[in-house]
Amino acid sequence: MGMILLGLRNLFRNKLRLMVVVLLLATPFFLLLAMQSIADAVGRQTTTLMQDVNTVLQLRARGSMGHINMIAQDRILPDSVLDKVRGIEHVAHVEPYLLAMAPITPPNFVMHVGLAPGAVKRLESHGEAGNPRIIAGRDFRPEDAGQDVAIIGQGYAAWARIGPEDIGRATMTVDATRTHPVIFALDRPKRELRIVGMYASGYVFGDLQLFLPIDTFRSIYGTREGISWIFARVDSVDNVARVAQGLREVVGDVADILVPQNAAVFTATTSRAVIRLAWTGGLLAFVLMSLVVFFVLLMQVRERAREIGTLKAIGASNGAVSAQFLTEAVAVTLLGGVLGLAIFRLAGEAVTGRLFAFGIGPFLPAHYKPLFESLSVGSQISGPVLLLVVLVAVAAAALGSAYGVRQLVKLSPLEAMQHE
Amino acid sequence: MNRPAPLVELREVWKSYRKGSETINAVAGVDLDLAEHGMVAIVGPSGSGKSTLLHVIGGMDRPTRGSVRVAGRNLSDIPQGELTRFRREVVGFVFQTFNLIPNLTALENVALPMEFSGVARAARASRAKALLERVDLGQRSRHRPNELSGGEMQRVAIARALANEPRVVLADEPTGNLDSATGRLIYELLQSIARERTVVVVTHSEELARLADRVLHLRDGRLSNGAASAVSSGTAQVPSARQEQTRA
Repeated sequence: MGMILLGLRNLFRNKLRLMVVVLLLATPFFLLLAMQSIADAVGRQTTTLMQDVNTVLQLRARGSMGHINMIAQDRILPDSVLDKVRGIEHVAHVEPYLLAMAPITPPNFVMHVGLAPGAVKRLESHGEAGNPRIIAGRDFRPEDAGQDVAIIGQGYAAWARIGPEDIGRATMTVDATRTHPVIFALDRPKRELRIVGMYASGYVFGDLQLFLPIDTFRSIYGTREGISWIFARVDSVDNVARVAQGLREVVGDVADILVPQNAAVFTATTSRAVIRLAWTGGLLAFVLMSLVVFFVLLMQVRERAREIGTLKAIGASNGAVSAQFLTEAVAVTLLGGVLGLAIFRLAGEAVTGRLFAFGIGPFLPAHYKPLFESLSVGSQISGPVLLLVVLVAVAAAALGSAYGVRQLVKLSPLEAMQHE
Repeated sequence: MNRPAPLVELREVWKSYRKGSETINAVAGVDLDLAEHGMVAIVGPSGSGKSTLLHVIGGMDRPTRGSVRVAGRNLSDIPQGELTRFRREVVGFVFQTFNLIPNLTALENVALPMEFSGVARAARASRAKALLERVDLGQRSRHRPNELSGGEMQRVAIARALANEPRVVLADEPTGNLDSATGRLIYELLQSIARERTVVVVTHSEELARLADRVLHLRDGRLSNGAASAVSSGTAQVPSARQEQTRA
């Protein structure tokens, strides 16, 4: 017990030295926590991407774009397809859409999209991007179902001379009788919609759409049955191919199934590569931490060979010497760990982001980088991971110290004193 | 009349080191008897084997061959654990460079060997205090080594050497790092200790050696003729050192 207390006191024998050693030990601790945090963030982000972007399949009537008033492209899916799609295993969510074209000059035409008020507002040519940002007014609410309301893209609004300040008061008349070289007329009465929101998508054509509740759409265009597009989200990117196969079997005779095959494969492989890269970084940091702790403690023991020789000369047993140095090793490592954790909690977010940019960013495929530039790396650490890190560090410290002490205590006191 | 067995008994003791292909005999066939009590000085030029001989007597190093008996224990073949106990209970060391534990106070340094012996905390503190008072450092017991002068550190080291009441105190150049006046004080302190136990001092100073009860001259690892140069008190034994021919 006395030697353990002596070991604890020895920590503070030289405060400058203690600071240096603790800082030395804290650095790999911090790096390890940072790498773990990066891997965690990458994992989270990738999971989100894989769930929300890359697992969505699109169904349209065979050989048709599904625009109800587009010449030669007006065939749409029967309602029964919707139930069949919902019945496929691993299909997590299904959203039906109805699309009609409307002429404007320039640039020729815009798209009217009917959807359930809670559904993703998909862009005609960038459906996978989805949910553009509302920049004025509001989004749809459940009570908008069947109401004469709409959300307009900022490009379409500019053509209609509707400014953000007009949202909520402005109206737009939908006239299905108007034609265009690729749009045929529908004998339907005009209908005035109140514009309740304006969105911006970041795409020129994406901003030329008008979203309206699907029941309202049916009422305006007289489309009692049928669906232009069905978007089906699969529960996991791993199941995309299986679901696509199932869809082909069930509705393949009436529907074209657009599988984000490349995107899914790309995401699955690249995401895994990035996760692997991040975890490899974490593993390297883990090994680095273990080695640093091991060698720092080994050196610390070795440079005190004279003290060990003296202790042996005045009668200390090998066990007593080992107990003292092991106590010191474990205590100084824990101090290093605490400092590393403190730095991580205080500066983890800022430093980890930079670490990611310099350490992992350069290894990412170029087209994957933008997704990760917005990576949100936190300074949180899970209890089990922290416990594992501490246990391994303490084990490395004990090994380093024990190895050094063992080399010295097996010598005679004289040899130990002369070991320096 | 039966003479008491010597406290220290060396027979044909050799300590050799390998240096490359060369074998260096630091101690070359020494026979020596030292009695209980009294101060013995080992003198000789640098490299003559004085310190090595002291280390062999104190169980700090084992002889290459020969027999070393101290206080009835044969140090040549006792197990490591026994040797540790021997160093703890039978001998006390005083080093030239003091070798105090830097982060411990003078009192704690003195109490440390007693902790190894399992002496209770209160008894340790009480005895350590008494020992520090004996070396005139009662007022400095709370100071750490870096707050003490060289002479004070050596006195703490001497007090530490006495902690477990050893029968032999071994001092290796105890004045080597001190000025002459302080060195003389340390010698006088060792002299006073020698009245109650055996003190063996290694020194290169003939002047200080003359204060010892017995002086052993060592040259090239061997005790020279007339090794017992002086007996100033009745406690010293008649020397038995004899010169041995160096073996090739």
